[in-house]
Amino acid sequence: MSLHWKTRLSLTSWILGTLTVIFLTYQWLPIFTLGLLSFAGPTGGTTFPMNGTSFHWYEEVWRATVMNDFKPPLMRSTLLAAACSLTTIVLSTMAAQAMRGQFRGNGWFFYLMLLGIMAPGILVGFGFAIMMRILGVELAWDTTTFLVQVSWTLPFGFLTMLAVFNRFDKRVEEAALTLGASRITTFRRITLPLVLPGVIGAGLFGFSLSYDEYPRSMFTTGPDATLPLAIMAQLDRQLTPEIYAIGTTTTLFSLIAVTLCTFALWAMRRSTALRRT
Amino acid sequence: MSTIRVRSAASYWLAVPAAAWMLGVVVVPIVLLAWVSLWGGRAFSTASPLTFDNYAKFFANQTYLKLALTTVGHTATLMAVTGVLGYCVAYFLTMKVRSPFWRLALFLAFIIPFWTSTLIRAIAWVPFLGVNGVINQTLMFVGATQSPIEAFLYSRTGITMAQVSLYTMMAAGPVVYMLNSIAPQLREAAMTLKATPLVVFWRIVFPLTLPGVVIGQVLVFLNVMSDFATVATIGGNKHALLSNLVLLFYEGSQIRAASVVAVLLMICMLIGVVIALRVVDIRRLGAER
Repeated sequence: MSLHWKTRLSLTSWILGTLTVIFLTYQWLPIFTLGLLSFAGPTGGTTFPMNGTSFHWYEEVWRATVMNDFKPPLMRSTLLAAACSLTTIVLSTMAAQAMRGQFRGNGWFFYLMLLGIMAPGILVGFGFAIMMRILGVELAWDTTTFLVQVSWTLPFGFLTMLAVFNRFDKRVEEAALTLGASRITTFRRITLPLVLPGVIGAGLFGFSLSYDEYPRSMFTTGPDATLPLAIMAQLDRQLTPEIYAIGTTTTLFSLIAVTLCTFALWAMRRSTALRRT
Repeated sequence: MSTIRVRSAASYWLAVPAAAWMLGVVVVPIVLLAWVSLWGGRAFSTASPLTFDNYAKFFANQTYLKLALTTVGHTATLMAVTGVLGYCVAYFLTMKVRSPFWRLALFLAFIIPFWTSTLIRAIAWVPFLGVNGVINQTLMFVGATQSPIEAFLYSRTGITMAQVSLYTMMAAGPVVYMLNSIAPQLREAAMTLKATPLVVFWRIVFPLTLPGVVIGQVLVFLNVMSDFATVATIGGNKHALLSNLVLLFYEGSQIRAASVVAVLLMICMLIGVVIALRVVDIRRLGAER
């Protein structure tokens, strides 16, 4: 270790940098391969060689009927995710606002929400399915699955809102109150617009988490499957590039959703920043 | 002064819907599982007598015990790998990358896969791992092996490889957050006082990021312990972990046995989380510093 410390420092930078690049490749390569293989020729298998390039497998997905038709599950997943997202927005804003009121037992409440994140999906889903069986309730994607998924998306929205409320400028709120606005008016006209980017973030979280959720849905969905369930079922039946085509499509779909919302957030932040100056 | 009065009835009522939802959907079902795991008899009936027979049956079976040990070992391996790798990546991202453009680009490159389906990302590993998969094709092309290695798909190695790519960012995320919140003056002061970079790291930076490390490890621990989907996709039916056993019993209509495994899984996880919570105070994260 007779090297000068500056040399050693740049050496660590190089090692860490290389490691980071290798890991990035490691993380992205399968995703790109999935995308590439989804364009395999009609005789292409599930790995290389691709036997030509075509849209064959996308056409297959589009044409599919009954057994491996992915359009209804996609529809259900999207609707479910939208519903979860909206519910999360409303409930998490209420809950975070309640935390600001430091009601009795808010410590327990916080841990209750945390439990929703910590408790693994397989246990929540399984337990809820048993409960429904005891109560004699029929399982369905738009009732039981919705209830279970919100218990997953809500805590994430709650933590997001909590962080937002911890950070926003409370003096603006105080000014409005001092000037005689009622609490409700102040919340509607001042607080809510200020925390809106956070609210959208919470909703985005909710949408994405619900859209991709598998273990919770698996036990509670009943006969009409959501998209992840349909994909898993197809994987069990037969592995063809068709699955890759679906995977690529839904990945693109969620990426577009994320990009749009990030852009909206950014635009909103910019507009509020301008107003402040 | 704020839009809500401290300890007001309003604040209490605002919290009720969320609390009721979480109690009804998360807490009650889990308590219910503990109850069902004690049911005797054979019929699905709430009038079943209570007994510990189901647990006795589980612990009498060597295969299941071995499976539980394998699960713990597998999880520990993943925690170690993702912990070290995640810390290196997090440290590089926050400490070594200076240009804002590259910072944002790298950050996005890491965060984007996180927004996509874990299921799809697990499936994406399948074309890589098979006997004719990309890894074997590459190895044979380079000349490292003559015949394809069968050790990847449907094996523990394959599962580990996929899970490392899935969960490293969970270990790295909280560390990035903690590293960002370290005041640069602290390091500068230590440097001025002639501490070597290694000493600065071990005595100042690492202790300050410890909460992030612990939270990351808890996330990886919880996710790997309950990740039956990746195991099923890549491991096939040959390799199961404890969480797959829940599914296996459930599909075989052995509700009691499934509940027993679920309860044991829950206990393992609770122990892990309690240990972690003794180290860090999660409630302080995200608060204004």
